Amino acid sequence: MKLQRKVYIAGVGETKFGRHEVDFDVLGRSAAFEALKASNIDRPTMVQSAYVGNGTNGMVVGQTVLKDLGMCGHLPIMTVESACSAGGMAVHLAVRDVAMGLADVAIGIGCENHTLHMAQGTAFATAMSDIETVHGAVMTGKYAMRAQRYMYETGATAEDLAMITVKNRRHATNNPYAWFKGEISVEEVVKSRVVASPLTLQQCCGIADGAGAIVVCSEQMVKKLGIQKPILVAGSVVRSGPYHNRPRDITGDDITEETAHQLYEESGIGPEDVNIVELHDAFTIAELLYYECLGLCPKGEGLKFLRDGNSTHGGKCVVSPRGGMLSYGHPIGASGAAQIAASVKQMRNQCPGYQVDPVPRVAMTHVTGGGLSGTEHAACTMHMLVSDW
Amino acid sequence: MSDQKPNKKPEKKPDITFFHPDLLEVPADGKAPYLKGYRCKGCGQLDFPKLSPCPSCWGEEFEVVPLSRRGKLYSFSDNFIGQAGMKTPYSFGYIDLPENLRIFAQLEGEPGSFRCDEEVELTVGPVRDNRDGIPLISYKFRKA
Repeated sequence: MKLQRKVYIAGVGETKFGRHEVDFDVLGRSAAFEALKASNIDRPTMVQSAYVGNGTNGMVVGQTVLKDLGMCGHLPIMTVESACSAGGMAVHLAVRDVAMGLADVAIGIGCENHTLHMAQGTAFATAMSDIETVHGAVMTGKYAMRAQRYMYETGATAEDLAMITVKNRRHATNNPYAWFKGEISVEEVVKSRVVASPLTLQQCCGIADGAGAIVVCSEQMVKKLGIQKPILVAGSVVRSGPYHNRPRDITGDDITEETAHQLYEESGIGPEDVNIVELHDAFTIAELLYYECLGLCPKGEGLKFLRDGNSTHGGKCVVSPRGGMLSYGHPIGASGAAQIAASVKQMRNQCPGYQVDPVPRVAMTHVTGGGLSGTEHAACTMHMLVSDW
Repeated sequence: MSDQKPNKKPEKKPDITFFHPDLLEVPADGKAPYLKGYRCKGCGQLDFPKLSPCPSCWGEEFEVVPLSRRGKLYSFSDNFIGQAGMKTPYSFGYIDLPENLRIFAQLEGEPGSFRCDEEVELTVGPVRDNRDGIPLISYKFRKA
């Protein structure tokens, strides 16, 4: 959907990611309140619509998050679910409302608490109505199959994959919002226990809690609010995953390729112009494949792109500058919104100790969601952001 | 005494021990089991599992086609952390059949023993315990 009028991000908020003793609603509210204050919004009635992304925390999540902010009763609040893509999708819907003139101020939030609710030592599965789930499918194992095939076809090694974790944790070293961060060696990553062969523990995102929130508004409103550093939403795309039970190349990702293609076309910005990317690095292999799927490098050259240092500071495009999901952990409904919040902070030069230099002008975010048999992913949400000052 | 009271509660129905009959045929005469493909009578598209209607033409009539018992293991993983309630380790993979269909299935055999592109064949065995703790039997694959 091409945006019909200009949409700007006014303010963002995020919580620290990790294990929280407060539930999803407190986390979501905290991120939302921060985003609203950062947008110079001083009363709940200024917001005209709200979307709250969440994967697993139950019913009417949106109202539960926003009731203490005095927003219930004043505006439509909708809870958005698409597994790991939910937070990104919530922001997309807020953007859509502003683009279509349904609202001048809208908020998209992603929040999730897993650790209060999930059995320890188990992996994420999809609904029992899915034929693969009945046969034991878990997300870790499904990504592991992508890694297995990639290594078989390209000769990449476990050490190669481990470099993704090493890079992202290094990026996160001074990021106060990240959970796992700092120095880790390739050997430590490779020798951590096997979760789903060939993926080891340190190649999998942590099961975490957290939230992110994004306030979007019209051009007129961004001026009225006096926002000094408005971020233009140059593109916002949601797609569903192609469904079929025939062989497909799982070292590619049909839905990511299609979503990226549409985003580039609608925003008029190509991969060569993107300074930073937060992508769905739930597992090391995913980041490696997505270099190619997003067109950051030609097909088959993902590993070279990584080895040449093109995805880190000083390279062509800094991938996962916040540390990615491999550092934050992945509260599934929160990540998509938190990626956008972190990218906006980078573009506003608000990341002391982990700031990308030169300050990025163009940022892209990418989350996929849902292991549904017959698809690579059920959903994919991407955003293209541009500094506009 | 209490034994003689009529039990008004309906007896709890046992969970199915054979996974969906639309998927798997285990002939009573001892012949080899096979997966059931469904060919749309409208457009000819062949699918497994059965999709209804046919997503290609919305046809609602299908012909059952026994699928090949052998295929190629496209990829696999040995899982050491699994679904809640499932014993680990267990292995699963994608099996590509000559009919241009990809099947997700558990693999029978030792973790560490599988290779991409090796030949595998259909077998039948327990894939998990059902809600009543009874093994749920379904299709699996093993080295051919």
